[in-house]
Amino acid sequence: MRLPKLLAGLALASLVLAACGTSTGGTSNKGAIKIGVELPESGGETSNGIPTLNGVKFAVDQTKTVEGFTLSVANFDDAVNGVHDPQKGAQNVQQLVDDSKVLGMIGPFNSSVARAEIPISNRAHLVQISPANTNQCLTKDIYIPQSLSGVADVDCKAAGVPFPKDLRPTGTNNYFRVATTDDYQGPAMSDYAYKTLNIKKVGVASDAEAYGKGIADTFTIRFQKDGGTVVKRQDFPNASKVSDFKPFLRAAQKAGAEAIYFGGTDSNNACVVRNQMKAAGFADTAPFFGGDGIVTDKCKSDAAAAAVGMAGTVATVAAEKVSGSQATIDAFKKAYPNSSDYGAYTMPAYDATKLLIAAIGRAIKANGGNMPKRQQVLDQMYKTDYTGVLGHTSFDDKGDTTNKVITIYGIKDASKGWDVISSVDLSKGL
Amino acid sequence: MATLAAALKGTRTALSGTLGTQLFLGGIALALAVLLLPKAIDDPGFFLQIVIYGTADGAIFALIALGYTMVYGIIELINFAHGDIFTLGYFLAIPLIGAFGLTEGSPVSIGMVVVLLVVTAIVMVIDGGINVVIERVAYRPLRSAPRLAILITAVGVSFILEGVMYVWQGANNVHFPDLLPDTRIPLFGASLGVKDVIVIASALVLVVLLNVFINGSKLGKAMRATAQDREAAQLMGININRTIAATFFIGAALAAAGGIIFGLYFNNIRFDEGFVAGLFAFTAAVFGGIGNIQGAALGGLFIGLVQAFSNAYFQAALTDVWIFAILILVLVFRPTGLLGMQVPEK
Repeated sequence: MRLPKLLAGLALASLVLAACGTSTGGTSNKGAIKIGVELPESGGETSNGIPTLNGVKFAVDQTKTVEGFTLSVANFDDAVNGVHDPQKGAQNVQQLVDDSKVLGMIGPFNSSVARAEIPISNRAHLVQISPANTNQCLTKDIYIPQSLSGVADVDCKAAGVPFPKDLRPTGTNNYFRVATTDDYQGPAMSDYAYKTLNIKKVGVASDAEAYGKGIADTFTIRFQKDGGTVVKRQDFPNASKVSDFKPFLRAAQKAGAEAIYFGGTDSNNACVVRNQMKAAGFADTAPFFGGDGIVTDKCKSDAAAAAVGMAGTVATVAAEKVSGSQATIDAFKKAYPNSSDYGAYTMPAYDATKLLIAAIGRAIKANGGNMPKRQQVLDQMYKTDYTGVLGHTSFDDKGDTTNKVITIYGIKDASKGWDVISSVDLSKGL
Repeated sequence: MATLAAALKGTRTALSGTLGTQLFLGGIALALAVLLLPKAIDDPGFFLQIVIYGTADGAIFALIALGYTMVYGIIELINFAHGDIFTLGYFLAIPLIGAFGLTEGSPVSIGMVVVLLVVTAIVMVIDGGINVVIERVAYRPLRSAPRLAILITAVGVSFILEGVMYVWQGANNVHFPDLLPDTRIPLFGASLGVKDVIVIASALVLVVLLNVFINGSKLGKAMRATAQDREAAQLMGININRTIAATFFIGAALAAAGGIIFGLYFNNIRFDEGFVAGLFAFTAAVFGGIGNIQGAALGGLFIGLVQAFSNAYFQAALTDVWIFAILILVLVFRPTGLLGMQVPEK
């Protein structure tokens, strides 16, 4: 398993080296710097990891060298039997840490894998940038703050995950991400519903879990601030075992609800709720809103004939919705022509790689043109002031991006899947 | 403590007579009136709508509760696996419906009705057969063992069935073909769906048929005799094993029919959803008077209505609290339930 991949990596590296020999011009070649990649890339995860990896490769191929050093990609797969695996991810990061030429890494894809990896990269002061992680507890102590939900703070421990400081044995941060956090999902959907769709009254329900109730609460408080009315609010413990949501839906409809927001996951019957809206008196066109827990194929099949009109938030930037990014997307698609080469996280990975290379470049300069230490790259990361395909990115002291954009996915055509339909920028604060 | 226990026993005895029935029914009626009457007057159309939803849900609970109550009536076993037998009926019907060439979007026709009736009959027989095998393998050898042994076995059978269904159908909701028309008829400010009518009518037909069978047929008589006094029934020449097996068969067949009706109505189920539905149905059986057929049907209806009212007017988060509080209150103050128990005499 490992050997062919290593060989492929070597082949790629030598190709890059060969290409650099002609393109670096006057600058002498001072040696190699590697960009580590740690993603789930095989089995059922192929469609997650490979398009993301392509974004990194494309950025490195475009840049080729930084301050006289030759760039290459050191790639690792954390999927075991086709499913992302935190232990495997941790082993991969250990290998990246052991390679002194690796000055930074892109990954991982899943928040659960990040929890296993951050302690290892942290001890080595290795910069780690995730293109896709959105769980707020990787960087923040509070899972859902009181200011967003209107009810008391829910901290990470209450949400069942460790605090950020428990993941950082050195006491300082080395983890960054270009996706924003899940706690902005509810407010973003509220703004979309109220301002874009002009909906004034909604019914809100949740599956009564930390994630579901959290986003339902944040949606509720934001919707009221926007000027709308939540006409009916319910939480369903054991939602996966509730078969009939019509009494709630009918009560909301009677009270004037034009749409329903459900905080929860497809496995907790979120889209069964959607399926029952019509029998409870809603028009076919009445929208149904949720978080990333409903942006799944499973949800679409649960909603069955009622799938059209659903919309869900995902806490990442869709480059397609950023002005001026189309040229880069087109260039990528020319270099990687298959439709399966490109995914939702290709451009986030591209920008993450570009700004990592920029930080490495600044660190080399600050080190008198010599190979910098990892700590020097880390120091430069905080000075990031980068405008790319995701818009303008800089990082706060926790490692979170200041580019707080949430993408709205929706189903417009029953024969197709989830499509990007809009985006909401909350960078200026709530 | 002793005086408290004596007082409780006194209350129980007092509440088991005619006066108790009147107090019990009166208490429920009063509670419902106080809680719901203002809301019904406020918006009668909405109230009627919730009654329609609750009645349809209750009809399905009733079909599950029948199997619970029959089995408890005859061998005093709370058959925890019964809810999973219900789910199994749902899963068994899907490939059969496909095999008969019915798919979502097929036009409603006499042929479809015939196919659905045939599928239901086949699934009732298969599910009933499975339950008979379960009874033979897991319950019959323990019939004279301590009560707890057979109870734990029933919990174990429930886990086994769920495990098998998980491997077979996976962790996600499984879609049931949406075959019935979703036409709704306006009715006094509410709307009555064709699906609601079909669910309620088919449950009603099954309950009536079961009642006729229990009270009119020879096997039904044997069941009642076995329920009343197993040994005496045996001395009278009744084949106890066959009678008990028949009870399990009929209970499972009704649950299977319930599973198919659930599928046609809701179109979604998960491998472990039947267990909770089973607990609600058990509450319904206790509420109506365990072992009592009409009681189970009424209890199912009542639980369906409580659930719908709670989700519509009160807090959905407390719906389960209401239902199981009712279970506890009935068990403590009127263990004989609404219509009285029909269980073996000691």
